[in-house]
Amino acid sequence: MSIRDRLARTAAVEGAAVTVAFIVMVVVFAVSSPFFLTGQNLHNLFVESVFTVLLAAGMTYVIIVGGIDLSVGSVLGLSAGMTLMTASKGAPLLVAILVGVATGLVVGLVNGLLIAHLGVNAFIVTLATLSIGGGALNVLTTRVELTGVDSTAFTNLSQGSVLGIPAPVLMTLAVVLLLEFVLIATPFGRRIFAAGINDSAAHLAGVNLRRLRLQVYVLSGVVAGFAGVLLAAHLNSVQPDLGTGFELTAIAAAVIGGVSLSGGQGSVWRAVVGAFFLTTLSQGLQLLGVDPTWFTIVTGVSIVAAIAFSRGTQWFASSLRPAAPRPSAPAAEAAEPTHAVNR
Amino acid sequence: MSVESNNELASARAQETSDKKPVLEAVGVGKRYPGVVALDDVSISLRGGEVHALLGENGAGKSTLIGILSGISAPGSGELRLDGEKQEFTNAAQAQNLGITTIYQEQSLAPDLTGLQNIFLGREPRRRGLFGRALLDEKAMRSRVAPLLEEFGLTVAELNQPAGSLGALKQHALQILKALAFDARVVILDEPTSGLADHERLSLFDHMRRLRDRGVALLWVTHRLDELFGLADVITVLRDGRHVAAVSPDTETPETLVRLMVGRETPPGVSGASSRAKRWTGAADEILRLEGLSRGVLLDDINLSVRRGEILGIAGIAGAGRTELARAILGADRIDGGQIHMNGRQVRIRSPRDAYRHGIAIVPEERKSQAVFGDFSLTKNISISDLRRTSTARLVIDRRAERKQANEYVDKLGVRTSGVSQKIRNLSGGNQQKVVVARCLFSGPSLLLFDEPTQGIDVAAKSDVYRLIYDFVDSGGAAIVISSELPELLRVSDRILVMREGRIVGEVVVGGDADLGSEEGVLAEKIMAMAARGGAA
Amino acid sequence: MSGTNRSTPVASQLSGVLSSTSSGAIAILILVCVLATSQSSSFLSLDNGFNIASQMVFVLLLALGTTIVLITGGIDLSVGSVMGLTAGVVAYLVSQGLPLGVAMLAAVAVGALLGLVNGLIITKLGLPDFIATLAMLGVARGLLFLWTEGTPFIGYMSKPYYVIGGLERPFGYLTIPIMVAMVATFAVFAVLKYTAFGRHCYGVGSSSDAARRSGVRVPRIRVLAYVVSGLLAGVAGVLLAGQTTAVAPDLGSGYELQAIAAAIIGGAALSGGRGHALGAVMGTLILAATANAMNISGVSAVWQPVVVGFVLLLSVILDRLTEKQRGRSAHLPSAPAVATAH
Repeated sequence: MSIRDRLARTAAVEGAAVTVAFIVMVVVFAVSSPFFLTGQNLHNLFVESVFTVLLAAGMTYVIIVGGIDLSVGSVLGLSAGMTLMTASKGAPLLVAILVGVATGLVVGLVNGLLIAHLGVNAFIVTLATLSIGGGALNVLTTRVELTGVDSTAFTNLSQGSVLGIPAPVLMTLAVVLLLEFVLIATPFGRRIFAAGINDSAAHLAGVNLRRLRLQVYVLSGVVAGFAGVLLAAHLNSVQPDLGTGFELTAIAAAVIGGVSLSGGQGSVWRAVVGAFFLTTLSQGLQLLGVDPTWFTIVTGVSIVAAIAFSRGTQWFASSLRPAAPRPSAPAAEAAEPTHAVNR
Repeated sequence: MSVESNNELASARAQETSDKKPVLEAVGVGKRYPGVVALDDVSISLRGGEVHALLGENGAGKSTLIGILSGISAPGSGELRLDGEKQEFTNAAQAQNLGITTIYQEQSLAPDLTGLQNIFLGREPRRRGLFGRALLDEKAMRSRVAPLLEEFGLTVAELNQPAGSLGALKQHALQILKALAFDARVVILDEPTSGLADHERLSLFDHMRRLRDRGVALLWVTHRLDELFGLADVITVLRDGRHVAAVSPDTETPETLVRLMVGRETPPGVSGASSRAKRWTGAADEILRLEGLSRGVLLDDINLSVRRGEILGIAGIAGAGRTELARAILGADRIDGGQIHMNGRQVRIRSPRDAYRHGIAIVPEERKSQAVFGDFSLTKNISISDLRRTSTARLVIDRRAERKQANEYVDKLGVRTSGVSQKIRNLSGGNQQKVVVARCLFSGPSLLLFDEPTQGIDVAAKSDVYRLIYDFVDSGGAAIVISSELPELLRVSDRILVMREGRIVGEVVVGGDADLGSEEGVLAEKIMAMAARGGAA
Repeated sequence: MSGTNRSTPVASQLSGVLSSTSSGAIAILILVCVLATSQSSSFLSLDNGFNIASQMVFVLLLALGTTIVLITGGIDLSVGSVMGLTAGVVAYLVSQGLPLGVAMLAAVAVGALLGLVNGLIITKLGLPDFIATLAMLGVARGLLFLWTEGTPFIGYMSKPYYVIGGLERPFGYLTIPIMVAMVATFAVFAVLKYTAFGRHCYGVGSSSDAARRSGVRVPRIRVLAYVVSGLLAGVAGVLLAGQTTAVAPDLGSGYELQAIAAAIIGGAALSGGRGHALGAVMGTLILAATANAMNISGVSAVWQPVVVGFVLLLSVILDRLTEKQRGRSAHLPSAPAVATAH
């Protein structure tokens, strides 16, 4: 392999760009604020990142298969509400957790059935369930007094730690590793990529697209539901608008991490890096005394920059590559620009 | 401008061009893509009032030439002349404004717009009003096409319907009107008869004659040699990107044209192809049997059976239901009625997943859009059909086993590649096709469906693909081959079923010795006759 | 010659809307009306009618712009926060002493400008519409937050602004916002139906290939669609600032989803090429009437997003089912159907 090839390969790894940006950012924050690298701050950073990280990890599956899930923000809030409600009524911890996860499962199932079996557009379906889920939490908070749960087991879910590592971080790490493993090493994960790259071909090669898509939306819902459980334990209270906007942050995290919205490309770790990028940015800015409202602006600009950058590196990589043999002459002609259509 | 003066202009133009001065010429144009010379020093002259047919095998450079003439791609060398003057097009719109319209097989109409809206899309007449010339002049649009409607078989009602709801012929008619409404002088038709029923084809030919009589220069790309006679005035033949001949149909026969296209005495795919060692003998158990398979108007009471070791060919013109048959067998489309038996047992196939489970796999028609996972490596492209086979405990993919298996197939099928981790999109069409075949074989099927197995791949790769088919059936499988190229079907098949309008209308048993070229001619004629007119009708 | 099947454009458009608006949506509207009337006779009163009209103005203006963008095959998630930001522009400029007219013009211009940025990022940088406008949503919202420093802009109201905001009604029921919405609806209706730009929007959304081959400058049409959407959001922002009398930092958040829901219920398709101005009115009306009916029937306002979600879901599901029934595979009959729509 020539040096040119190697260079091209490195440049083509889009995740590399975000990772570098992430490291640069950490260094900048560390230099400009003495508190940034303190144990307490890092602890907070990790604990507060887990929700975005989990949502982004689940979202990665959906985006790779070629879909979108806007409902995760609502699921996060609603599941937190359901968990807290169950726990505050004195139910055992396990039941509370199951109720939270089941909330996500139900929403994911509805999404999946409508999208995969009825063929309704994913954007609209999950937009509707976003609205319904958010509203349901709103209703829940007016009906039930959702104040703190006084239970050691429940608080341990967020306060506990193993070897100094906070419990929610450990659990999130486990989920993320599992999700990444499933995505890259199992037939299920392989099929997700296949369907995202070329769904017609996947169908004709014997992939059951309906079941696959159903599974993916259910998975996204379940992961968001689990994040809701952790959030309930973390806050020990639930506001009516809890979770609002998280779906967009999760999508932004995945996209910034280099998961392609057109499907078929990406990995969980990239989305996690994207999520860390966003949470670290927000926390670092706060630490520097920058008004937190800058955060939404910076998020918006980062999204555009990340994609523009990855387009740039792709272009750079392909210009370095020696003239790759095109499939065939007539096919080469078809290489007209077609505009990307939203799914 | 009124319609009358339009017509006058057209007839005046016809007068003018009676001495047949070229309107559009390509002089020594060439085009290279990385690794491929698509077009090499080709010259062609299109004259007003003349139908110029363009022939060539797949990959001969027809579509490249059309792309250049219609302004979609620039010639790498040589030049274009319009009325004898050098002209450079930078895009399709500019070529259109100069009177060059191309009618593609698809994607030239916006399906949601009505016919009328489509005809004038991009060049809508405006009317003067309150807001300057901002408003559309619907009246002018209607009056401009009204005199042409009847002639091209469209009604006012159809003009108000979404174009996507019209049939293929009506869509062609719309495109012709689109050309005429803007005084096209050159109309390029890219395989316009594909997807048309027989009577529709004839109507389209009438349309083409009318265009010719108006003094328009027509360039007509077609695959069907029988269509040419009686309509084409000149025939240009391309082969391997080069201009081979410009001949008159009066002095040619389909056979001589085939010879020009392939450059040899024998039909395409035959020379150099490893011919099949042993022919199917007939006595073997049945692999697939279809009884009364139906799907809407597309498939009507299909009965057929394929036996172990047999290659069953399916012939028919485009739109006859061949691909639909393959998709029905595979479970890609829901069937309305009928039974499918595999290995003597009735099976229910509701999805390709089911089909694979029952030992059926397909090499689809459209390689790029329906078969290849461009971003996947060869390994992943092959193993997708049966991931469990390379997985430990059916759960985790064993990458080493996967690679090893992929390597075996790549070696066995002779895929030319730098390694199994190469992305498939960097392979040539022929090698991609071999990988798709490898994927099918990987699932361990007993029946393989090949839909246009050699479309868009070069001659050498073609014979490789034939060999793969032979090897598969010789090792105990059965194959169904769908092809638009009759010589190919005659070469590979043991038996050929002819389809027309969703039905099987005839059967031809290909004789034991394929070397009898004369017999092939007879069979080909017989099949053509059935495909075009049908035995019963 | 074709006089037999000629009807007035509006009537034919209306029938077109009725046939293309999801049949489910109409059923829902009727159901809502019947239920609400049975609960309270005041639902169908003139007073309440204008109530609903005033409530739907802002979503309607956004839904009109969204409809245009959807027709071209794009999506605009930024309209809600652009509306909020432009409201902030008016409030700020007026409190800085600028004449109201100038401030309003500036706000509308800001809306159009942000739309232009959206369009250029999408067509020049090649970002997916969804991402580009999502980013714009964040940026516009953040700018308003920063600018207001977290506390609402107040103290910009004046006598004429009360009129513009519809809080004072010198013309009876017909408030300025309602009139503006009517004018905007008519304008969008006319642009889509009678101008080349409108025609090209449908062409681009229906098949950008066909449009390009026909000589339509596809990128320009797409950019213009976003500009119009931004402009309408700017107009909505100007009116909204007058109605709320205070510009909160999160003003307008969530409106984009309502606007998209209204457009979709009104028959626009995310795949492009379909949609009507009157459909947007219909969709907005359904959402507003439902909210109003719930209000009248004493259902708590917290249920509203749930019901909006169900209405949206119901209308697309019914659409999908009728579509399946009719087997609308008329497009390109010879082409094999793609596996499943996603």
